[in-house]
Amino acid sequence: MIQIACPYCGPRDEAEFAYRGDATVHRPAEEAGFHDYVYARANPRGWHLEWWHHTGGCRAVLKVLRHTATHEVRAVGLPADRPEPPSA
Amino acid sequence: MSATEPHPWLAGALVPGRFGAAAGEPVRLGTRACELVQVLARRDGDAALQAAIRAAGGPDLPPPGHAAQGERMAALWTQPRGWLIQAGPDAGLARRLADACGPAAAVVEQTHGRCVFTLEGAHARAVLARLCRVDLHPRAFGPGRVAVTPLSEIAAVIHQTGAAPGFDIIVASSYARAVAGMLAAAAAPIGYQVGGDQMGGDQMGGDQMGGDRVD
Ligand SMILES: [Zn+2]
Repeated sequence: MIQIACPYCGPRDEAEFAYRGDATVHRPAEEAGFHDYVYARANPRGWHLEWWHHTGGCRAVLKVLRHTATHEVRAVGLPADRPEPPSA
Repeated sequence: MSATEPHPWLAGALVPGRFGAAAGEPVRLGTRACELVQVLARRDGDAALQAAIRAAGGPDLPPPGHAAQGERMAALWTQPRGWLIQAGPDAGLARRLADACGPAAAVVEQTHGRCVFTLEGAHARAVLARLCRVDLHPRAFGPGRVAVTPLSEIAAVIHQTGAAPGFDIIVASSYARAVAGMLAAAAAPIGYQVGGDQMGGDQMGGDQMGGDRVD
């Protein structure tokens, strides 16, 4: 169980959220990039920027920086935020 | 549609009396008759929404996690740029707010769409803690605070109305009967009272939802 500190609601348990995938992919302007946009994922071991939807609370879609091996949540922001993964 | 009618889903779900553990102080479980209207600010509508709410006798719209009481209505924060407005029964709230807000906000009547339970007494916190995940300890929560969080698995708005402590629990009407059963089951080990002695001006009881006030 991880906790996500929603900027609106405060710290809440993972069960209140819906995981919405990789937050680093961007919709391509050209049709050519669509296969990778829809299907290709890096699946990193380490820091991962991802979408979490606070479905059980304020309904905001949040950008979360999470470590895929330790589940540590390092940053939680709004869609416009650009949290930087730690260099270590 | 403005008249506040009893929720048919609740008929017979909460009958007056004392239930569960017989010793000690029971929590008081009931329902609150009130009007509820959801308001969501449209793009660039924030200032006009606030002005309309204030002109209608409402409070300054509260920040996330808080409620505010105005002269004629209360506002509960529920989501970014969205609030539940609560007033006494038969206030005609939805029509008044829709007229006042114009295009600044989406105004949605929720009086019949939601059901408000009241849970009060020294052990009310312990009962709620069995059902939800938020920290209700006085150092983290208190009167005037609001949490939008699932109660068991059911979407709910929890509003602490008093220091006693007293809570309003707002759920979709279609889940009202399930929530009544959940609250009763969670309160049974402590003991709970439906109806009878009044506390905080609320009328308690299953489907007797007339004549009580919001304040
Ligand atoms: Zn939230």
